[in-house]
Amino acid sequence: MNAPATMPATTAQIQAAPTRNIMIVGVGGQGVIMISKVMALLGQKQGLQVKQSEVHGMAKRGGIVFSHVRFGKEVWSPTIAKGDADALIALEWAEGLRWLDHLKPGSGAFIADTRRIVPPFACRNRKTGATMNYASETPAEIVSRVADGYALDATSIAESFGDSRAANTVLLGVLSTTLDYPIEDWLGVIEQLVPKKAREINVKAFEAGRAWAEAAQADPSLRFDHAIAREKTYAKPQDFEVRLEINAAWCKSCDICVKLCPERCLALNEEQIAYLKAPEACTGCHICEWLCPDFAISVNTVSREPASA
Amino acid sequence: MNEIVRKDAVRPAFDIKDYLRLDLMPHFMCPGCGHGIALRALLWATHELGIEKNQLAVVSGIGCSGRVGAYIDANTYHTTHGRPLAFATGLKLARPDLKVIVITGDGDCLAIGGNHLIHACRRNLDITCLMLNNEVYGMTGGQVSPTTSVNRLTTTTPAGNCEPTFDACKLAEAAGASFVGREVTRQAPALKNLIRAAMEHDGFSFVEVMSDCTEIYGRKNDLGESPEMILSQKADMRPEAFGNVADQPFRPNRLVTGVLAKQERPEYGRTYRARAALERAKKGR
Repeated sequence: MNAPATMPATTAQIQAAPTRNIMIVGVGGQGVIMISKVMALLGQKQGLQVKQSEVHGMAKRGGIVFSHVRFGKEVWSPTIAKGDADALIALEWAEGLRWLDHLKPGSGAFIADTRRIVPPFACRNRKTGATMNYASETPAEIVSRVADGYALDATSIAESFGDSRAANTVLLGVLSTTLDYPIEDWLGVIEQLVPKKAREINVKAFEAGRAWAEAAQADPSLRFDHAIAREKTYAKPQDFEVRLEINAAWCKSCDICVKLCPERCLALNEEQIAYLKAPEACTGCHICEWLCPDFAISVNTVSREPASA
Repeated sequence: MNEIVRKDAVRPAFDIKDYLRLDLMPHFMCPGCGHGIALRALLWATHELGIEKNQLAVVSGIGCSGRVGAYIDANTYHTTHGRPLAFATGLKLARPDLKVIVITGDGDCLAIGGNHLIHACRRNLDITCLMLNNEVYGMTGGQVSPTTSVNRLTTTTPAGNCEPTFDACKLAEAAGASFVGREVTRQAPALKNLIRAAMEHDGFSFVEVMSDCTEIYGRKNDLGESPEMILSQKADMRPEAFGNVADQPFRPNRLVTGVLAKQERPEYGRTYRARAALERAKKGR
């Protein structure tokens, strides 16, 4: 299946055209479905059979959005098996990494937006200096690992044309350089699918993506942003010390601070007065202070003297 | 790029002890009563706006909410039942330089003082009215109030309340209040922001604070201890932005929170003083 792509202009060429498997992944609202519609229509324009299937709407609940598009002379299954995708288009960085095993080893093109959409549950550890549960791989690492990798900040490119929503079209522009179909067909399909007022931006975005990919193919060092480095933590080191004061005379044992502390570091003593059970777990989030109806708790943050050299 | 920054707002340079009458503390409210959280939010908003203590006048009525004002180390005025808005109207007209806050309760504001509320809303004098709604007359032993939810038990409705519940925000908006908002005590920083926006608003601002009566209402209705009651507030509320989502008909009991109505209307105090100045000029005085 490593044969170079040919332009299926004649019936004979359609007969020879290999089945193309395109996988599009991202987060809800980014335009995954729009890209898959473009691909499906494009396949039809070449006189090929198209199968498409998708899971959508899940991203709002922390799930995934993906779409499979397959086209060729004769296509049966609407889904792409692991290791069978000719191109994986990721509108969000971590989503792209999640589906990386579906990419065809040796020839699959990985086209990803480096812009990250960090879900809240990636930041569940509230301690300072905590590590984030978000993919830590850098674009450089991933691009070196796949056969044909492209990692670009498509959202910024689209923003430069005035609408970040055109990021998906930028990625389509990159994809168009890896598949040999006439550029008029691509633009025709895009113009057919996007609303009238967004046509100009989308055509510009498509051309920008195409230009970026052509430059990257000429010079492999342009395929990813070298500046994006591995991030160790998401929270800055604590430059302050938390001092929690509890005024025992004002505490009325209502238990609100104990039950509402996210770190569960407070407790009631044998006299039913709140005390700080686990001082090391306290992050200084102030929730106990805000919700104490009796003003018995005050959380003071004292800035630490920077360690002198 | 998408760096998570801890906002400095999490570390306020606000010490509530600066604003309290420390000789009266600890306050008389029951354990877990939401009124304390509301008081804190009010003082926090005052601190953020940089209002001097002698420029602040807090007028309160009768009931648990009426006692809240007494703990503030500022000009406080403990008035008769249902009449804090009437007293505040006189105070604001006589001393327009003061920032006048009215702290009132659901029974004080809607039942005994219902008339004063609608006319205060109509006049649009620059007063901030904080209605602490705990759905019950707590101080007198737990009688039914205009905002008690349907089917709830109180000492005067032993078989469950069968009167429809009053929506105070709708009333205030219809009567002409130029700023109407609602927030739960669980969301203390949001409550502070709402009170702050209400205090900044030029005109009559009405804020309904959903508070918990843990000892009387909560116990009688088996709503759990203080933590359970405050935790359940979040399940009962919905930010204003989601007010028109499609699932609304299936959750009719949800509270809509946030700024519910805001409009620009002539402030009564200025209109009144302009009219008076005109009249004085006419009579050559």
